[in-house]
Amino acid sequence: MTVLILTSEEDVTADIVVAKLHGMGTPVMRLDPADVPGKAVLSADYAHGDFDGHLSVNGHVLSMGGLRSVWVRRPGEPAGHAARPSPWLTAETRQALFGMLHSASTRWMNHPRSADLARLKPWQLRVAHLSGFAVPPTVFTTAPRLAQQFAEEHRDVVVKSASGPPPGDPPMALPTTLIGPDADFSAVAAGPALLQRYIHKRADIRLTCVGVQMFAARKTAEPGQVDGRYGDTGHAWEVVPVPERVGKSVHDYVALAGLAYAAFDFAEDEEGIWWFLECNQGGQFGFVELETGQPISEAVALWLSQRKPDRRVPGSHW
Amino acid sequence: MRPFTLNYAFPRRLPAVVTPYNFDESRQLNVLPDGRPAVSDPDLLLAVGTTTSTAGSQTHFDD
Repeated sequence: MTVLILTSEEDVTADIVVAKLHGMGTPVMRLDPADVPGKAVLSADYAHGDFDGHLSVNGHVLSMGGLRSVWVRRPGEPAGHAARPSPWLTAETRQALFGMLHSASTRWMNHPRSADLARLKPWQLRVAHLSGFAVPPTVFTTAPRLAQQFAEEHRDVVVKSASGPPPGDPPMALPTTLIGPDADFSAVAAGPALLQRYIHKRADIRLTCVGVQMFAARKTAEPGQVDGRYGDTGHAWEVVPVPERVGKSVHDYVALAGLAYAAFDFAEDEEGIWWFLECNQGGQFGFVELETGQPISEAVALWLSQRKPDRRVPGSHW
Repeated sequence: MRPFTLNYAFPRRLPAVVTPYNFDESRQLNVLPDGRPAVSDPDLLLAVGTTTSTAGSQTHFDD
């Protein structure tokens, strides 16, 4: 039974897990959907009274009957490396590849349906509330007047993107940025703005959840620092225990969201409260593991190696 | 009119990092010129920054 990892070749975080799987003797196939069609070949059929399918790439072959689990890590767009890529070819290839994978009985990290939902920032805040996290007041709006009112009420407000920086060349950065009530909010009418009360933090927390295991790391923040991803503060990530109340909320969150893997970002305030900022269903863990030594990749490899069904995603098993 | 959020975007100067490893199709992971897996050198991975939370942000918004 083989673990299928959907990711790009340059993904060295996936390498860490591949190495663990090799060490455990668990068969693995690594495939980038961008390489279909082309380097990778797929075939699925319903011709003989039952479903069957095969994938092959770089001399490795996988039958859908031998599929143990799928890790959706950092896959490229289907057909992204095709000689003549096009939106139509991507759509056709997505149908073929994911239609075949969904037809197999397997466990997912994370199931694409759960992943799609989990990426929606407003939905994340709703689930975070339901899970008992402390959530900063937040507004998503296309109304300049409401944005202005929110900023006047909360004074220290940050603006952040819900979907990441805009694509383009040169690459763009779009860090979470502190703004004040004096900002000109008229452009809010041109696109939804995500405004959130700024948490005066003394540290960033990254909590990685793999199945039921939690790995929390803490990085001291500089006074006034807003986005911990940008700029070097000179502080390193350090292992920190998970407060019991937070652990329960994490458990509730991943159960509600149907996630086998999740990376939570918190801001720790001066009173030690962990404020929920976001939950990345495909968040990076390589940098945390390399700095802290937390065995996250081992937990991922073990989860992928299990054969028991993942009951948290309704309908993912027949 | 430019969306409000984009007022806070700026060009990101990416360092010209040459990763000193290549994908080994047989082993299905990246290897160093001497054949060792790239993951056997954590200091190297940290130095090239390919495992950081912004490493994939241009193609994936899952940081």
